[in-house]
Amino acid sequence: MPSFPLPLLARALPLSLLVLALLAPALGGCQPQRPSGSLIVASKSRIDSLDPATASRIGIMQVLSALGDPLYAIGANGRIEPRLATALPQLSPDGLRARIPLRQGVSFHDGTPFDAAAMVFSLERFLAIGTLGYQLGDRVKAVRATGPHEIELELKRPFSPLPRLLSAIFLTPVSPTAYRTHRDKPLADRFVGTGPYRLSFFSGHQQRLVPFAGYWGRRPANTGIDLVTLGNSTALFGALRSGEVDLLLSSGIEIDHQQALHRDAAAGRLRETVGPALEIGYLTLLSDKAPLHNPMLRRAIAHSLDRRTIGERVNRGLRPGLRQLVPPTLPGSDPHAWPPYRPAEARRLFRQAGYCNDRRFALPLTFRSDIPTDRLFALTWQAQLRRDLHDCVTLEVSGMESTTAYAQLDKGVFPMILLDWMGDYPDADNFLAPLIGCSRAEGSRCLEGGSALSGSFWSEPGLEADLQRSTVVAGAERERLLRSLQQRTAAASPYIPVWLVAPVAWARPHVSPPRFDGSGRVVLAELRGRPPAQGVQP
Amino acid sequence: MSRRSELLRYVGARLALAPLMLWLIATLVFLLLRVAPGDPIDALLGPRAPEAARAELRAQLGLNQPLLAQYGSFLGHLLRADLGTSLNNKQPVLEIIRDSLPASLELGLVALLLAAVVGLAVGFSGIARPEGKLDLAGRLYGIGTYALPPFWAAMVVQLVFAVWLGWLPVGGRFPATLLPPSGSGFYLVDSLRAGNLQQFSGTLRHLILPAATLGLLLSGIFTNALRLNLRRALGSDYVEAARSRGLSERRVVLRHALPNALLPVLTITGITVASLIGGALLIEVTYSWPGIAFRLQEAIAQRDYPLVQGIVVVVAALVVLVTVAVDLLVALLDPRIRF
Repeated sequence: MPSFPLPLLARALPLSLLVLALLAPALGGCQPQRPSGSLIVASKSRIDSLDPATASRIGIMQVLSALGDPLYAIGANGRIEPRLATALPQLSPDGLRARIPLRQGVSFHDGTPFDAAAMVFSLERFLAIGTLGYQLGDRVKAVRATGPHEIELELKRPFSPLPRLLSAIFLTPVSPTAYRTHRDKPLADRFVGTGPYRLSFFSGHQQRLVPFAGYWGRRPANTGIDLVTLGNSTALFGALRSGEVDLLLSSGIEIDHQQALHRDAAAGRLRETVGPALEIGYLTLLSDKAPLHNPMLRRAIAHSLDRRTIGERVNRGLRPGLRQLVPPTLPGSDPHAWPPYRPAEARRLFRQAGYCNDRRFALPLTFRSDIPTDRLFALTWQAQLRRDLHDCVTLEVSGMESTTAYAQLDKGVFPMILLDWMGDYPDADNFLAPLIGCSRAEGSRCLEGGSALSGSFWSEPGLEADLQRSTVVAGAERERLLRSLQQRTAAASPYIPVWLVAPVAWARPHVSPPRFDGSGRVVLAELRGRPPAQGVQP
Repeated sequence: MSRRSELLRYVGARLALAPLMLWLIATLVFLLLRVAPGDPIDALLGPRAPEAARAELRAQLGLNQPLLAQYGSFLGHLLRADLGTSLNNKQPVLEIIRDSLPASLELGLVALLLAAVVGLAVGFSGIARPEGKLDLAGRLYGIGTYALPPFWAAMVVQLVFAVWLGWLPVGGRFPATLLPPSGSGFYLVDSLRAGNLQQFSGTLRHLILPAATLGLLLSGIFTNALRLNLRRALGSDYVEAARSRGLSERRVVLRHALPNALLPVLTITGITVASLIGGALLIEVTYSWPGIAFRLQEAIAQRDYPLVQGIVVVVAALVVLVTVAVDLLVALLDPRIRF
């Protein structure tokens, strides 16, 4: 074939690539300048709607906590503090009516005054269309205004953790004027509340918050917050390291990245703050069917879990081991309710159940295949059991996508599954009722209620009555009862707590150290920063 | 029958069959979603919500209706071009598609342009010395870029250019410090129309990495297709005839061989465009690009039935239109094609 002169296009290719390579950093210099004092906060949570009525995920709760105020807030010390209420609820002698005095001089972002009518409007709207409406509706029969700045909640039964329930940010009031036409339907792309910030722009991937000039409390320390969503852990990690964002929230950040950020913080290149741990990781054991209907086997499994090894290998020391169902920051916690790792005791129990030596117990474990830490846990525990109890038990692991697994939990198809749980508001009842609550039982088999929905189907006579009583009594008596409930559950081991997850926030060095409130959310209004040097490598 | 009438009849038949095809796709998606394990109520409320609350929400969302009634309602709304509302945030599905489809199209079109320019240039460059070093490099480039796993390539590019060098943004479609331009949803066009250079440069900076990654990954297809077709064309009788008439080699290649070699490439371009309408999932996820594929992935994870159905139907309709348009274009350019 005759030779053909190299066409211009092909000759120009290396030149084009060179131009592109030069253009990229040049475009870097065209980065838009940030307004002085405003900060960019990144997380993995896409915000589909800002309506508190449809709020159910962590990401939206973080945004709402800056845009709205709850009646009560839980401080960093775990204590209840009135916010839009001015005092704790005053209960009637029978405990069925709670009067709440409201703060005066507060206005919504659209100028509508906040009063009892607005609070009643918001709570009734939430009861009617709230995705988590059952949290309020299961406890509250009616809401009424008893004065211009006082409301009364009529309860279905006495409920001692009421202030904690009312600290839930999804109960934040919304302006009756702005939501007049959305009384019975959600309003996704707007939010008009009373918080320190008002919404200036909304899209699923970006929300711009600017300080609300008419805020009743302390004005934000920054000139605004841009909340952005990045879809994966690598992007989030990279965005903080390259200085593209000022603050990163840990939800959705993989353990390896968390460890690298932790190291950066230890070396002074980032600021790291750990919030109150309110998420638990635990194993659910199917207690009403063979083979795990045998409590001895469940106890043996509880003794065989080496949380220290799991913590080192799976969580790189970032998630402490957990031996209770109630997070330690909440009243009613009992740090040693579940038995510690004792392979000798596990072996004794396995042997008593007829295993070990020539007969190995095949223990099936399902993990959520779309959560990397779960997969790592399954493989690590499998290896740990092979190391410690190879003659007694073999762990057979299998993965399943989360949503598929959740749909089958209450069908009793998983002999053992690794799950996590974070209550909708920080109270022990929100951790115990969904796991051991049981509205209908036959002996020690739960037919209906939280235990059945969670896939353990375990109960025992008198347990539900005590659980109910724990929401009526208060103070030390309640804490004693909560501890006793956990100890009884631990003795039967239908669940085995594994680890505790605390929210973490990492900030660039030019940003003030982030602070978490008692509900596990960063207080955005306290963040202070000077304009960063762009693209500075940590 | 004249060729023109043949062509019109062909296009008419393809377009007439489109509703049938869309109905089949819509039905299949509807059924597959219901057969697939998982429950939207679990995704919304979590698995531990009380049964009464679950039942109430199920009724609110119409998921307690018999399957046939749900199907009838879905088709009825579809006929009125109503794709329903998202189970997740109650936003109309059409609005969600209108927000995210331009993002995918903008990324896809820029990537395709880059893929075509780079891919064709590399494919063409080897023709000077077949089996020479440049030709071998082009062949390796074609195979290599085609074989690269997209998520791996995207993550490496992201790490090098965004994290280590800090030249370009890690992800997203627009700088957080600015507000996106309003208009068609194609930010490059909208910012240019608004004459806002800061918005334009912000959009471009965010577009470079995902478009370059996707473009380079796709360019191998063009390289291979052009190399093979051009070599075949250069060995054909009509090229020999042109040479024997004393035409210069440049003219033989550019006027006689290249147009014929580009026809199959046009068909490949059509297929690539059709595949990009649905977004490039791995690229969108890696770069947090808020496109239609990313949205579809989230909707599937949340079992948001109306949103999944709506996205699939709209994307399928666009794919049908694009394939018909490409067929038509190829037929217009190549008089040998008969129907």
